[in-house]
Amino acid sequence: MSNKREREKRREERLQEESKAGAGERRTRLLQFAAAAVFLVIAVVLVLIVVNSGSNGGDAENLTGVAEVDELVGGIPQQALVLGDPKAKVELVEYGDLQCPVCKTYSEKFLPSIIENKVRNGEAKLVFRNFAFLGEQSPTAGAAAVAAGAQGRGWEYLELFYKNQGVENSGYADDEFLTAIAEGAGVKDISKWNEDRKGAKFTGEVDRTTEEAQQLGVTGTPTFAVKGPSTNGLEIIGTPSSPGEAEEAIDSAG
Amino acid sequence: MNFPTEGTLRRIIAFVAALGIGVATYIAIADSGGGAPACLAGGGGCETVANSTYSHVAGVNIAIFGIVGYVGIFLTAFFVNDLARFGGFALALGGFGYSVYLTYLEIFKIEAICQWCVASAVLMTILFALNATRLIGYAGVGNGTGPERADAKPA
Repeated sequence: MSNKREREKRREERLQEESKAGAGERRTRLLQFAAAAVFLVIAVVLVLIVVNSGSNGGDAENLTGVAEVDELVGGIPQQALVLGDPKAKVELVEYGDLQCPVCKTYSEKFLPSIIENKVRNGEAKLVFRNFAFLGEQSPTAGAAAVAAGAQGRGWEYLELFYKNQGVENSGYADDEFLTAIAEGAGVKDISKWNEDRKGAKFTGEVDRTTEEAQQLGVTGTPTFAVKGPSTNGLEIIGTPSSPGEAEEAIDSAG
Repeated sequence: MNFPTEGTLRRIIAFVAALGIGVATYIAIADSGGGAPACLAGGGGCETVANSTYSHVAGVNIAIFGIVGYVGIFLTAFFVNDLARFGGFALALGGFGYSVYLTYLEIFKIEAICQWCVASAVLMTILFALNATRLIGYAGVGNGTGPERADAKPA
């Protein structure tokens, strides 16, 4: 009996040792996996940082979207930053900042449909007014667009700027970038544009529309307003959540 | 100082992960229910971050990924086996790495800081430390099928 008990005891001890050894092996394997995972994550984070450490957008040497912009606004009359038939009864006003990424989204996803359905057929005109408040390059970019507008290329300037917009306040909207946009937008007299955009007439225009937006209670961009026979002057409609909403506002203002 | 018991670590992990779920849910709701997006004047770090191109991956707000990660870590705190220990560690490691990347983007690319994103990054860092401690201290303890052992000793 005692032999049998001893054998059982030894067997239990052996099983326990085997279990301990198994647990030890499992532990070692898990910690090796964990160490490998740590190295993998460090590598992935470093790669992501390196990939993103390049340009902040706003690449003056590689402008994109010139043809699309021509197609979008080509053939539509424009004067200063007003796109569309000057006699159109309704005007849709956008208060925007060229550095604003949401304005870029609206420019690319909302305005094309509004331009196609309401502006090209003369139902409404689209007006861009600078609310240049996001950073120190906002007013200079705004004045550059107004100066392009003086040569009949204002909307090409706005749309092409948005298509090539860089990261907000990263300093990309320098003279080189603004000039590249002017050339891409088809501004004919670049030296006049260059003079105009720095002059008091055009920088003052940006200040004026910015103050106007503040007086209207505009706090963010893009903010839209509509004016027509059925409105009480210029009525703020805010930031529409779809192009259809803006088109409805145009219909009710007409 | 004694090595904390696994039960203590699991309770703290569950608590911190629950806070993380709250923060990430707030960011996701603020993004989706805050009306139409707009660019706002200075000081609006969260608006700037939320409006940046980095706030969505494949059209999905990254806060949603955060919620999924926190919920996963939260759940691992309720199991006492190596799968839960390693799963919690792996999720927290991934979340920590992504938080480092997002903090880099905030500082150097977007140049705006959102306090809610910082809160999430801090919580994920704490969770990474806790889950690493749990894995190093208790990997291999128990066979993974036994009852919960809140008083388990470090391996």
